[in-house]
Amino acid sequence: MLEDSGFEQITIGPPVDTFRGARGEANARSFDVYGYAFLAHRT
Amino acid sequence: MPDELLVDVDTLRTQVREKYRDVATDPHGPHHFHTGRPLASRLGYSDAIVDDLPDRAVESFAGVGNPFSLRTIEPGSRVVDVGSGAGFDSFIAATQVGTAGRVIGIDMTPEMLAKSRATAAHLKFDHVEFREGLAESMPVDDGWADVVISNGVINLCVDKQAVFAEIFRVLRPGGTLQFADIANGRPVPIEAVRDVDLWTG
Repeated sequence: MLEDSGFEQITIGPPVDTFRGARGEANARSFDVYGYAFLAHRT
Repeated sequence: MPDELLVDVDTLRTQVREKYRDVATDPHGPHHFHTGRPLASRLGYSDAIVDDLPDRAVESFAGVGNPFSLRTIEPGSRVVDVGSGAGFDSFIAATQVGTAGRVIGIDMTPEMLAKSRATAAHLKFDHVEFREGLAESMPVDDGWADVVISNGVINLCVDKQAVFAEIFRVLRPGGTLQFADIANGRPVPIEAVRDVDLWTG
């Protein structure tokens, strides 16, 4: 989707277990949800 | 099937506003995500920087990652923060760009805007400004920004392609998008995508 929007040189950081220990943890686990950092440059 | 056919945009926006109004006014309430300083520490923000911010700048932070983890913003940069909330990431960006730079935070929740503006005034951060707007139609001139940041916001927008197109519009050519957001490792069933409650909880 980023590339389709005109971004390039895309970097994705390691997953972060954002919801661990939170009330939303069960839903996050259901769909393997993690937080990520993204870096991209506009063409 | 595109998500925009599965969820009503206005219904979702209303629910998101209500959720983040509560985060603004009751940051330690029973939210489904972590908030504040414990969350910032979990996500790897520098204690040295976060410790310098007053509680009101940090307590309503509800990001999902660290948009500064892959790149520090250069001094003097012009930054747009998409979905700035109570301003935590905008204030981090403000410390990185210094007074020669400028930060514009965009948010659609009145309580978050009121809080971020009051905190900016308290901090005397004259180079930070918060504007009311949507991620899909930001009140920022074409090509104004050197950098766009965001944290845990784009996943709450139905039309993500429209958001990225808008970010492309406000960035100058060669500008940088550095953001954090959630992604799922398993497919989400259509019935779950249609469930607006799951988008915000």
